[in-house]
Amino acid sequence: MEFTALFLAIAIVMLVAWRGARALALPLFGAVLLACVATYLHHATDVLKLSF
Amino acid sequence: MQFTPARAIFLNTLSLYAVALVLAVAFAAQLLLNELPCPLCLLQRIMFALLAVGPILNVRFGPRPSHYAMSLLAALVGAVVSTRQVLLHILPGDTGYGTALFGYHYYTWALIGFVAAIILLSMVLLFDRQFEKNASPRPAGAFASLAIWLVIALTIANVGSTLLECGFKACADNPVVYELLQRGS
Repeated sequence: MEFTALFLAIAIVMLVAWRGARALALPLFGAVLLACVATYLHHATDVLKLSF
Repeated sequence: MQFTPARAIFLNTLSLYAVALVLAVAFAAQLLLNELPCPLCLLQRIMFALLAVGPILNVRFGPRPSHYAMSLLAALVGAVVSTRQVLLHILPGDTGYGTALFGYHYYTWALIGFVAAIILLSMVLLFDRQFEKNASPRPAGAFASLAIWLVIALTIANVGSTLLECGFKACADNPVVYELLQRGS
């Protein structure tokens, strides 16, 4: 569900960047980027087994 | 050769076509090979889509360092995500996730793509002439408009595809069926 929301949010940011105000596109981009980082941290739970 | 604002905008347009190509190839692999993207794979697609916001702003408002910085940040996060997935499958004997394309899996290609984007963006930032003040940015031509609408359309297509795959709950770690289609049958 969160990935659907992120794709939708990016589509909105793209439309704002293309047709809307630059002053709105920049903070929207920042918010989506932070949401992406939070989603990554939420999913990066598996232990990396790097010793072999 | 002078790196004028017009040339920078042309280069940004080409980068939008490159992002569209990456998203289209990922979609083609999903549909033709019937391989559903895992959560980290989806996140890499998301970071590629987010990478396109900077070039869209450059085409619309003219090249600015802040627009390139946005793309750099998106590429950096994308590289972190794809590096993690490469490391998850680095052990000998691990066959990786999904089918390899030209010898590399999607996440390896993604890592190469994000690193290439970081290098190219850093190189483009070296050319100051593109940031000279224009009286007013020229409206984008058909070539640039098509690139932008293509990227937006592919991102919206991913909204539908991800909704079908995950439904209204958390995506499966190793998805094999479209959650919403299964619920309907």
